[in-house]
Amino acid sequence: MSEFRKSPRFFSRHKTNWRLLIQRLLVFSSVGSLALFVTWPWLPWVNRPETRTIVIYGFSILGEVMNEEILPAFQTEWEQQTGERVEFITSFAGSGTITNQIILGVPADLAILSTELDAYRLVENRILEQDAWHRLPNKGILNRSPFIILVRAGNPKGIHGFEDLTKPGVGIVHPDPLTSGGAQWAILAEYGSAYLTLQDEEQAYDQLAGIWKNVVAQAASARSARTQFENGFGDALITYEQEALRDKSLGKLTAEIIYPESTILSEHTVVVINKNIEPEDRYVIDALLQFLWSDKAQSLFVEHGYRSIHEELNGTNPNFGLIASPFVVNDLGGWQQAKQEIVDSLWMEKVLMEITP
Amino acid sequence: MSIIDAKAEPGRTSGFFPITILLLVIFPLLIMPLAAIYFFAASSGIKGFIETLRQPDVLFALRFSLLIAFATALINGVLGTYTAYVLAKYQFRGSKALSILVNLPVAIPTVVVGTSLLLLWGPIGILGGFLDPLGVRPMFAPAGVLLAHLFVTFPYMLGAVKPVLDELEKTYEEAAYTIGASKWQTFRYVLLPALRGGLFAGALLTFAHSLGEFGATVLVSGNLRLRTQTAPLYIFAQFEAGNIETANTVAAILATFSFLLFFLLLRFTQNDSQREQE
Repeated sequence: MSEFRKSPRFFSRHKTNWRLLIQRLLVFSSVGSLALFVTWPWLPWVNRPETRTIVIYGFSILGEVMNEEILPAFQTEWEQQTGERVEFITSFAGSGTITNQIILGVPADLAILSTELDAYRLVENRILEQDAWHRLPNKGILNRSPFIILVRAGNPKGIHGFEDLTKPGVGIVHPDPLTSGGAQWAILAEYGSAYLTLQDEEQAYDQLAGIWKNVVAQAASARSARTQFENGFGDALITYEQEALRDKSLGKLTAEIIYPESTILSEHTVVVINKNIEPEDRYVIDALLQFLWSDKAQSLFVEHGYRSIHEELNGTNPNFGLIASPFVVNDLGGWQQAKQEIVDSLWMEKVLMEITP
Repeated sequence: MSIIDAKAEPGRTSGFFPITILLLVIFPLLIMPLAAIYFFAASSGIKGFIETLRQPDVLFALRFSLLIAFATALINGVLGTYTAYVLAKYQFRGSKALSILVNLPVAIPTVVVGTSLLLLWGPIGILGGFLDPLGVRPMFAPAGVLLAHLFVTFPYMLGAVKPVLDELEKTYEEAAYTIGASKWQTFRYVLLPALRGGLFAGALLTFAHSLGEFGATVLVSGNLRLRTQTAPLYIFAQFEAGNIETANTVAAILATFSFLLFFLLLRFTQNDSQREQE
């Protein structure tokens, strides 16, 4: 053990130790400037405008269009109309993930889910009233996107529809149905496209099982599945058309879009979590809801590759591909029936058993 | 003669082989992945780097992470030192069990920590269920992130301080009392100087771990941008979204921070052992 030391070292020396002094000054000034940087927004002299905050959760692929277009557009409109600033706090992940988070109690005021199925789960957990979202415009459906297949440039595996994905040697990247709404849509597309065109349950099942035998990677959300595909995994990715169109409009798309003859149009559901909304924020939420279905917001969605619920707006995006016979979940009896008969009884109980070694 | 030579300079010639193998193993395992971050950052250019740094999300995530890390180091600094002091000084029934218990967080997977915090403090949790009607909701808020980080990093301070306290003979403390020193004086002039190195090392370790914490944070934070999104969560979200450049920029900054902290740590512990030898 060393001796008692009552004072720091450089005071006790007779000669000033310049090196030590400079060293300490450097350390102190860097720590000080770091502290200044960290606390800057909360310092008293920094101007902070009075704002209202609204918390929005959304499914994975909605991130850009909401953060960069829709919410800022609403912000400006709202400020012009009322002079009030509204701030949006957002979080985007797989639809199943955000649904679980809402059940656990995250302070979401509004959520945009990729499937109605997740809305029903919120009902089960007594977060929402039965069919509460059906009272919103268009029964709560905000926009749509058909499910397509992305393949590598030049289509080396010769894939032209879902039936080609069952061929041996095709590696498929698929989002995980446990957390991703997109994955649920994809399952309906894989089964429904065969079922509705051939009217044959067995062949439809074979197509679903054949595709799943070829799945080489599963990701937590549609967006992370795309990231995996972009990083070189697999030969094909089943995803929202919007995912591919966004890259196409940016000139970044290196993969090729394959439009199946028949595929599902996903429908994205908005839910309002009443118990999290402060009474004084109510009218902002109502205004935002109106805005979401307005022509302005819907055009922004179209610009970003979503198909609007207003058919006439869809003509403005030349990139939308032609699908010979599209279908929606109602053609399969609605989500609750489709979930039970296709996702649970077929995919989970039979296909998963078959592909697990 | 040659035998004596070999004894006098052990390993100079024979060491070549093992050292090369060590480097060959370490290079792809540790050094190349770290280099990849900077390599990628450099190739995306300084302009992209600055542009990323101007985004409010990035600034917030970095600030929030640093603030939480600082708070965690401060709180656990005090709590950990106190725990170490009590455990080193007093022997009581169950003190062994307690000292094992407080070290447990190192062994528990962080995701488990996140889950258990949610099941305790979350709106559907054991305590959270009572607090929720009162409007107290620690989870999915900065407080929740802090709670998670305090849990996860608790043992680091303890681990740095306790060995010093164990070694520090009681006689010093007692001697101080006999010459009339008050409790505070004893702490200030006897314990604190001896603990300085340990305190510093522990605080830095806590800070560094808090800065990089992911598993528990991702569960308890709700991953809300501009509110609870820490830098590691931001990196993960951006990477998943395919914005690899943005993710990498923040990763490079975080890595640089960690290096700086580590070198600081190394320097201080070295200084300390040097001083002891003086």
